[in-house]
Amino acid sequence: MSSADLPLHASVEVPPAISWTDRLHGWVATVDHKRLGVLYVASGLVFLLVGGSQASMMRMQLFYAGNDLLSPEVFNRFFTVHGTSMVFFVGMPLVIGIANYLLPLMIGARDMAFPRLNAWGFWMFLFGALLFYFSYVGADGLYGAGTAPDVGWFAYSPLTGKAFSRGNSTDYWVLGILVAGFGSISAAINMIATTLTMRCRGMTLGRMPLFVWMMLVVSWLILVAMGPLTAAQVMLLFDRFLGAHFFDTQAGGDAVLWQHFFWFFGHPEVYILIIPGFAYASEIIPVFSRKVIFGYPVMVAATCAIGLLSLGVWAHHMFVVGLGKGVTSWFVVATMLVGVPTGIKIFNWIGTIYGGKLHFRVPMLFCTAFLFQFLIAGLTGIMLAAAPFDWQLSDSYFVVAHFHYVLIGGLVFTIFAAIYYWFPKVTGRMLSERLGRWHFWLFVVGFQLTFTTMHAQGLLGMPRRIYTYSADRNWEIWNQITTTGVLFQALGIAVFVCAIFHALRRGEPAGDDPWNAWTLEWSTSSPPPEYNFAEEPEVKSRRPLWDLKHPDDPDWRHE
Amino acid sequence: MNEEQRHEATETPAQNPGQGIRLPAPTATPMLFALGLSMVFAGLVTHWLVSSVGALIAMAGAYGWWRQVLPHEQHVRVPLQDPEKRALPVEARVGAVDHLQLGEGGHRVRLPADMHPYTSGFRGGAAGAVAMALVAMTYGGLFQGSIWFPVNLLASLLVAPPAAGEAALRAFDVANLGIGLFIHASLSLLVGLVYAALLPMLPGRVALWGGVVAPCLWSAVAWTSLEVLSPEMAQHVQWGWFVVSQIAFGLAAGVVIERAERSQTMQTWPLALRAGLEAGGGEDA
Repeated sequence: MSSADLPLHASVEVPPAISWTDRLHGWVATVDHKRLGVLYVASGLVFLLVGGSQASMMRMQLFYAGNDLLSPEVFNRFFTVHGTSMVFFVGMPLVIGIANYLLPLMIGARDMAFPRLNAWGFWMFLFGALLFYFSYVGADGLYGAGTAPDVGWFAYSPLTGKAFSRGNSTDYWVLGILVAGFGSISAAINMIATTLTMRCRGMTLGRMPLFVWMMLVVSWLILVAMGPLTAAQVMLLFDRFLGAHFFDTQAGGDAVLWQHFFWFFGHPEVYILIIPGFAYASEIIPVFSRKVIFGYPVMVAATCAIGLLSLGVWAHHMFVVGLGKGVTSWFVVATMLVGVPTGIKIFNWIGTIYGGKLHFRVPMLFCTAFLFQFLIAGLTGIMLAAAPFDWQLSDSYFVVAHFHYVLIGGLVFTIFAAIYYWFPKVTGRMLSERLGRWHFWLFVVGFQLTFTTMHAQGLLGMPRRIYTYSADRNWEIWNQITTTGVLFQALGIAVFVCAIFHALRRGEPAGDDPWNAWTLEWSTSSPPPEYNFAEEPEVKSRRPLWDLKHPDDPDWRHE
Repeated sequence: MNEEQRHEATETPAQNPGQGIRLPAPTATPMLFALGLSMVFAGLVTHWLVSSVGALIAMAGAYGWWRQVLPHEQHVRVPLQDPEKRALPVEARVGAVDHLQLGEGGHRVRLPADMHPYTSGFRGGAAGAVAMALVAMTYGGLFQGSIWFPVNLLASLLVAPPAAGEAALRAFDVANLGIGLFIHASLSLLVGLVYAALLPMLPGRVALWGGVVAPCLWSAVAWTSLEVLSPEMAQHVQWGWFVVSQIAFGLAAGVVIERAERSQTMQTWPLALRAGLEAGGGEDA
């Protein structure tokens, strides 16, 4: 393939950007995977603050029985926008962004396979998110006022039908996610192509970092799962705009069909979000245990098994629909089977820690908390997989506790671990260890106060999504503990924000390899140059930097 | 990726001295294309003009993107970093590797290289059962006026308690004796077997684990669950004596098991021997 260099830039140094307009143009026009990764992560963190604020408001509303801080309508919008934001505009950009930054560095490549598609994917995500939030001012509500979607993050039919969802707030929900979804699909294609075709010399599939393996599985899952959601959303648009009746039961349509479509996406989506958390833990735990990961091939196999099994468990979200004995039994067994490879992973992380020389720096603290919390999340998941148990607790706060244990106790904790771990590589500055510890302890205490108590609320019969409750239900004390936990979490996030700004302005220089780590990204400078590596690396084992640091006992002798 | 693309992607400064490294040229066209497409969708919920303008922007973005890659892909040459900013070579740290060895001091993996035979577990369980029964019957004789009291109480785990109340608990009942013996013997033998498997893997004094820690744990489990399993038994159990009987079991079983001759496990054998293969050199290893 021939190529042409732009004459303007050929053979001369690119002049450094000085003015803010130049800088802005640099970010808007960038096709560099690292800058796009930073854009994804920064956007995700901003939406995290927005979604977190909505959650905080909901918790304040529930602090007292019979409270009237928020109206029922506003409460409905908040839980819809909060859930949608956290899944599509926080979780997805954070995991895609971190992968965008690290994946080429880890495999010794200079960029993603399709750099321009990479940029397009980011902008589709961002414009999708902005379109969704524009509903607050642009959507027609029932009374002609601006309003946000209020149909819940999984937008069940027939609630989304024209008869029950007047105005066009639901259309904003559909269109925002649809547009952002194209970005996710393009990112998945890019990651698969990059991983399969751009690995450096010597990096066989069996020598790829576990991070790369897991993002490869996640990318396949995105490709398989996003399609049905997109199709269902187009069908819903046909229902709403063109008078089709796909989900209109009164006209021969099927409301349960929406649930099947949504959860065929929705359950793999949980794994799309949590497997990257596994990926960060699998890179961080060995480094801070000073040991090689325990059972690399089994970890890869378990990841692939989780990916496959996750495609066959969606209807466990629908037990209360009344699926019939055969179908229910199938999904009970399939869901419980996911516990096997997931359990293998937990054992392998513990096996890695076991007997290691542990360094409890901030990334390792977050990973350790993740291990405990994700174990509980998995166990409550197994409980909910038992259909009779689920019939009792479906749509209760027990379910809310379970999935927040997965997505915050699992994903958010590992994302924080990842940020503390790779921030020095991205910026060349260390995040403060002291502030990091404050962040960790405030957040872990807040998390436990908030979400452990939610199990109790669920067992006491409190349904999710209610905007208030009467005092005689004895739920008030549990709700007050829950809301108090949110305060701790908010303080933790505030410390985290301070730590970031502090590090950017006055952080200690990180050097190339501050953690004495082993994967390729630590062999280049911090931050890495635009081209990542001046010379293409060559690897002989899964830990190329270990081989260089220990020529007397390189890994390739043992693999 | 074909060979030429691979060459472009991995081109080194040495191959292009003074020209830097070739990377994809920055372009805002993907952003324009994304903006236009988003506006096309946004027009569905705002105004058709938004979609129209969006379509124009999308076309402009798509055309610009097209021109970025066809007929020739646009690149820029990025100069190498200043030497002081470049990554330092990775330094070798010869001799800094610790190898974990099985059984090495400080190594936390505790795989039993030898262990008690399973039969010692059964013998220990039987000895513990006798010791526990002696303590229980002593309690019955001294404080309940009948050595059959603990037997009948134990039987109430499986059969309904006698309607006659405490008087019946003190009377001899052959059926209850059979049921009580069955429960006592089967549980004692199983616990003895668990002791035989676990004790070699526990650090420190066997007497402490087998004679104190395990009986106390078991007593705690029984105390918290007996109300559910057998309300009758929970009502009549005297917990101080219960703990003493558990300790008697633990000590007796522990002593018998500990005195048994240990046999070597396969943990230190090479894989070939463990798998029963005829592998050359296996025994030497």
